Amino acid sequence: MYLNEAHLNGRSGISRLMFTTAILLILFALSATGVTAQADAVLRVGLNEPQNLDPATGSNDPEILFNRTIYDYLIEINPDNSIVPALATEWEIADDGLTYTFALAEGATFHDGSPFTSADVVYTFNRLVELGSPALGLLGEFEISAPDEATVVFTLAQPNADFLYGVGNRHALILRDGTEEVNVVGDDYASFNGTGAFILTDYSPGESATFEANANYWGGAPALAGIEFIFFPDSQAQIDALLDGAVDFIFKLDVDQISALEGQDGITVLERATNQHPVIRIRSDEGALGEDSRVRQAFKLATNRPELLDIVQQGYGVLGNNDPIGPSYADFFTDVEGDDVHDPAAACALILEATGEERISSDFYVVDAFNYESLAVSLQQQWAEGCIDVNILLRPEGEYYASNEWLEVDLGITGWGDRPVPQGYLIEAYITGGIYNETHFSDAELDELVAQAAVTTDVAERAAIYAQIGAIFADRGPIIIPWFASVLGAANSSFEGLELHPFPGQTDFRTVSFAG
Amino acid sequence: MPLLRPSRLTRLQRWQRTQASFWRQMAQRPLSLIGTLIVLGFIFLAIFGPMLAPYRYDEFIRDEENRRLTRVAPSWEHPFGIDKDSRDVFSRVIWGARGIITLPGAATALSVALGTMLGLALGYYGGLFDEIISRALDSLLSIPALVLALVALGILGPSPLTIILVVVLLYTPIVARVIRSATLNLRASGYVEAARLRGESGIYILFSEILPGVLPALIVEAALRFSYAIFLVASLGFLGLGVQPPSPDWGKMVEEASGEYANAPWALYFPAAAIALLVISVNLMADGLRRIFRHEGSLP
Repeated sequence: MYLNEAHLNGRSGISRLMFTTAILLILFALSATGVTAQADAVLRVGLNEPQNLDPATGSNDPEILFNRTIYDYLIEINPDNSIVPALATEWEIADDGLTYTFALAEGATFHDGSPFTSADVVYTFNRLVELGSPALGLLGEFEISAPDEATVVFTLAQPNADFLYGVGNRHALILRDGTEEVNVVGDDYASFNGTGAFILTDYSPGESATFEANANYWGGAPALAGIEFIFFPDSQAQIDALLDGAVDFIFKLDVDQISALEGQDGITVLERATNQHPVIRIRSDEGALGEDSRVRQAFKLATNRPELLDIVQQGYGVLGNNDPIGPSYADFFTDVEGDDVHDPAAACALILEATGEERISSDFYVVDAFNYESLAVSLQQQWAEGCIDVNILLRPEGEYYASNEWLEVDLGITGWGDRPVPQGYLIEAYITGGIYNETHFSDAELDELVAQAAVTTDVAERAAIYAQIGAIFADRGPIIIPWFASVLGAANSSFEGLELHPFPGQTDFRTVSFAG
Repeated sequence: MPLLRPSRLTRLQRWQRTQASFWRQMAQRPLSLIGTLIVLGFIFLAIFGPMLAPYRYDEFIRDEENRRLTRVAPSWEHPFGIDKDSRDVFSRVIWGARGIITLPGAATALSVALGTMLGLALGYYGGLFDEIISRALDSLLSIPALVLALVALGILGPSPLTIILVVVLLYTPIVARVIRSATLNLRASGYVEAARLRGESGIYILFSEILPGVLPALIVEAALRFSYAIFLVASLGFLGLGVQPPSPDWGKMVEEASGEYANAPWALYFPAAAIALLVISVNLMADGLRRIFRHEGSLP
């Protein structure tokens, strides 16, 4: 039987209604079956397309994730920030802190079958220097040599307490010695030649990249049969794809998006504490809003951090304090007592004492990123109770940073990404003359302590220095950190062993398996 | 004095008769009548809304233990629900009526005033003056509205004043063109010719003889422009231009809630519905006006 016009028009509206209802019920039943994974052990990752495929310079998460799948590091930074062996099995640091000697793994080979040797390490690190890779920020000045095929020696110009984090930083993926063309899509995929656990077999720009497991992987063949990267331009499309079962893993989701995935059948929400944080900063040089430290303290007292974490960040993160040394630096984080006291009446008293006015007011510049608009709206109300009135000015992210407005304004919110070590924040943003010293803060004691921390390799001694730095920030610092954000992702529950890295691009797929 | 009284009464009576006739004719077009009543309702909200709204537009709703409530579904207490930032969506929609009426309203009034003057002058004087200005206006009209708005806001910086300026820039040429063509029809009519022969000045002829004749077309055009202006201002708010948080601008509210539709769809639906309702109502009203004037023979 077929439906002709007579059926549709003549057989009354009831049959049409039943027909429509039946279709809707079928569609509903199909949509209610939940997420289904494909039967084999291929992990499909939904992500933005990487643009710069060169490991030395490609910086964002998709770029690093793409390269990390094909290549290996000499040493690795675990999600908990600990350092573990990889292509280097062990290392020694000379007493003067200037010489680092690494013993290399034996039996590792590149995808083209050639053996991994010290020459590859020397080539890779010299190439980082040659290309001015962002890796140099942590590596500092060094020279590298290879006494034999299984050893490399780094000689530093000056002690660098974070040098190992430089060796394991996200750009330092080991390339084959003498590779002229790195990661160039051509007739074949020979230029994607790493020692990694997965081999690139197809790359379709704008669509996908396909990897198969490296059966000869020196660390043991991975549990997955392969990986497929499927490119989506925006995160909402990635979420829809995960819910439809078209991909198995997505990452870098907003808190608003993740709460919609919580409790969904067949979906596991992944969370990892990081040191990524919004900085509420008060400019503190002469003539600026926060020149008087009592005004800066009033802002802190008027801020109710637990409410901000609970409401704006929906609890996805760790309560912040007044300095950038967050809890993800387990060795160095110190919870300064009284760091997060909320007392609007005391704020009003300090404002009156410092300015002679009942209330103060200021423009409040907010970068339009993450949930910072909601953060500003909440702060506006909290601060009003503490005798501080602000006028919110939302700024497009590109414009705000590109025009350097963020370095000049009196009061604002800036987003700071995760760093493997606390030193990065302190040197860039808080010492006198720091390249991104957006608060124009200048404190001789702080400068001295930061310089000391840079060359102190002993962890306990360094922790003591960071505790003193934390106390300075609590006492007179120019910033408030409402929370240290978690990085968020979601995966099909059929896969096990997925652990988000604080820098999601460094997520390790070697440990992932398909449980069915 | 006694001589003036009958004349005054006559004028009042004439006005009352026109009013009665207007509403009678509107009543024959129920959709237009509903549209007009809704528009009047929104204007009422724009004036008295802040006094009627249960909460301030930026007020946080808290529970008995002083904890902020977020993403609460509509209830009797909060008919449009609570948004992600703990604010009562119903109150924000009411507060937002003022901005969405006054900003496009002021901009439309200005465009109509300028466009009318320009259109009257172009249509009446004609010649090379008309040719040059008309072509310049046509070239302005060829640029898509939103593109022109984004460029202007980019150069001048977003503020309510800039938005008014953008709307004036966009709609003055359109109004001018409509009034120009209506003026062309009237220019050759007998009463205009008579006024000219009486030696009346150009300004007198434009505003006392021609303007009353183009008034019906002008009212319909103004209503239409108003609806487009509402939509444009809401679009700019959605794009985050010209309004800053925690403004209850409806377009901005839609933008803020758009990433939240899975968690708090009510925060998206109600301001979006308010924009749609207002724009549709203004259009229905304009349609009613057009039909009435056409019925009376004032429109072609």
